[in-house]
Amino acid sequence: MALSKDELKANILEKALNGPKAQLYVKDFYACDPDAGPRDIKNAANDLVKEGKMTFWSSGSTTMYAAQGRAKDEEHR
Amino acid sequence: MPKHDTPLLDELESGPWPSFVTDLKRQAEKKPECFDILGQLELSYRDKVTHWKHGGIVGVFGYGGGIVGRYSDVPDQFPGVAHFHTVRLNQPSSMFYSSAKLRDICNLWEKYGSGMTNMHGSTGDLVLLGTTTPNLEPLFYDLTHDLNQDLGGSGSNLRTPSCCLGRARCEWGCYDTQNLCHSLTMHYQDEIHRPAFPYKFKMKFSGCPNDCVAAIARSDFAVIGTWRDDIRIDQAAVKGYLSGEFAPNAGAHSDKDWGKFDIKAEVLDLCPTGCMWMEGDSLKIDNSECTRCMHCLNVMPRALRPGLKQGATICVGAKAPILDGAQFATMTVPFIEVNPDTEFAEIIEVIEKIWDWWMEVGKNRERVGETIQRIGLPTFLKVMEITPTPQHVKEPRSNPYVFWQEDEVEGGFERDVIAYRKRNAQ
Ligand code: HEM
Ligand code: HEM
Ligand code: SF4
Ligand code: SF4
Repeated sequence: MALSKDELKANILEKALNGPKAQLYVKDFYACDPDAGPRDIKNAANDLVKEGKMTFWSSGSTTMYAAQGRAKDEEHR
Repeated sequence: MPKHDTPLLDELESGPWPSFVTDLKRQAEKKPECFDILGQLELSYRDKVTHWKHGGIVGVFGYGGGIVGRYSDVPDQFPGVAHFHTVRLNQPSSMFYSSAKLRDICNLWEKYGSGMTNMHGSTGDLVLLGTTTPNLEPLFYDLTHDLNQDLGGSGSNLRTPSCCLGRARCEWGCYDTQNLCHSLTMHYQDEIHRPAFPYKFKMKFSGCPNDCVAAIARSDFAVIGTWRDDIRIDQAAVKGYLSGEFAPNAGAHSDKDWGKFDIKAEVLDLCPTGCMWMEGDSLKIDNSECTRCMHCLNVMPRALRPGLKQGATICVGAKAPILDGAQFATMTVPFIEVNPDTEFAEIIEVIEKIWDWWMEVGKNRERVGETIQRIGLPTFLKVMEITPTPQHVKEPRSNPYVFWQEDEVEGGFERDVIAYRKRNAQ
């Protein structure tokens, strides 16, 4: 049984906040609910960005996710 | 911002061609940061290494693409380009826009950016080069409210779809490329504006195999117009070419005298499958052998036209060399109807089958063409529910990737090994 959207989002945020990697690919979140489809995971992660809890970090060719404040910030270094 | 000495760049102004160096110098009169572009590029020419860093968290609210963060790694020397982000605008289909729209975009970019552009980037977008983070939101507001334009895709998003001129100007268009491109752009707004995949995904649409947007070389999903019946032949026009009444290639290449038109040397012998011949002064084509290469149609456009049962071939998986080498797209769906009445449901179904598989099994930063190579075309064709045809096989001896499945073999794969060994004992 897949988790509810809120449970899935909580798992994703937990991994982004406390996991060893600061920046994660969307695939790194697939394990947050092995029963959810890739699209559900992607939508949940994008929702967290919309809510301001995570940010995108993009190289221009790929996009990664990070908890707010954990992304590499080129601007303020 | 001071002018820098740029002896290496200055050489690029010496040839007979227009020079971006001259453009940058002219623009620097209005936008002094352009002096720093020149200075930093000169330094790169000397150091033989780029001084641009790219990537970051910049963007506009609600979007996860369209802006590419760009920074100088020598900001102390070139403060004008310390932050110099790139903005991608979704171009109109076929890049048709009025000069008024172009002026509006240029004015907007003079207001919020460096004024430098790249028209067009290889994805198709209008690329605006060089602005700062505080300018992004006001730029986006004006762009969407006053100009009614939108950002394009970047990062792991669906990239801005692009298409050839197609039926708008070209008699070879086998489907309405603009309609398909625009419809899918609207259908997939979420995928264009927010990351959705393991890596980038590009779609391009060409109306015929001339493939003017180079879809087969540049896109993960290439839709290339074709026909499944016979090339239409106007034998009277063939005679017109033979007699010299019509210029071959519609008069292109006429800067040199190539002599009298020689249909054997210029058409028949160049047909890659050797499926054309003359009977007297009538032209014959064995259409079952024609690979739709377009050569004969390009040489004799008055005499030869695509057939009437038109549609498209879908090729999947082209990419430029980033992780692995470059590769062309692989022919996947030999023929599909392009049907606006179903809102292109048949094509959307193909796209989403690819996405569902690739999102599941593709690795981080792996283009779908690389996933297909890694896992194998037989698996991909099975996922796509496509029966392999001889055209899927390039060289049966060197890539014999079409294998029997157990249920297709009488008796299955189980066998009595001991009895086999006895029978075949040396
Ligand atoms: C343990 C020993 C061997 C193994 C595991 C082995 C394995 C293979 C394999 C996997 C192929 C490719 C089959 C295919 O792509 O369809 C092959 C092809 C071939 N092998 Fe061997 N082989 C062995 C010994 C030999 C020996 C000793 C010879 C010759 C004296 C030989 C001659 C060939 C030839 C001529 C081919 C090409 C067949 C073709 O292209 O149709 N092999 N072998
Ligand atoms: C001067 C000596 C030789 C030359 C120039 C030569 C040349 C070639 C060439 C051009 C091919 C085709 C390669 C391809 O399809 O890409 C080939 C295939 C092959 N050669 Fe040779 N070869 C020579 C000697 C030999 C010898 C001495 C043997 C075995 C004892 C041998 C066994 C084979 C086999 C098994 C194939 C593969 C045929 C197949 O496609 O199944 N060759 N050779
Ligand atoms: S790809 Fe074909 S249909 Fe499209 S503009 Fe080029 S020649 Fe015309
Ligand atoms: S389109 Fe190409 S393959 Fe087909 S008949 Fe003409 S030249 Fe031959």
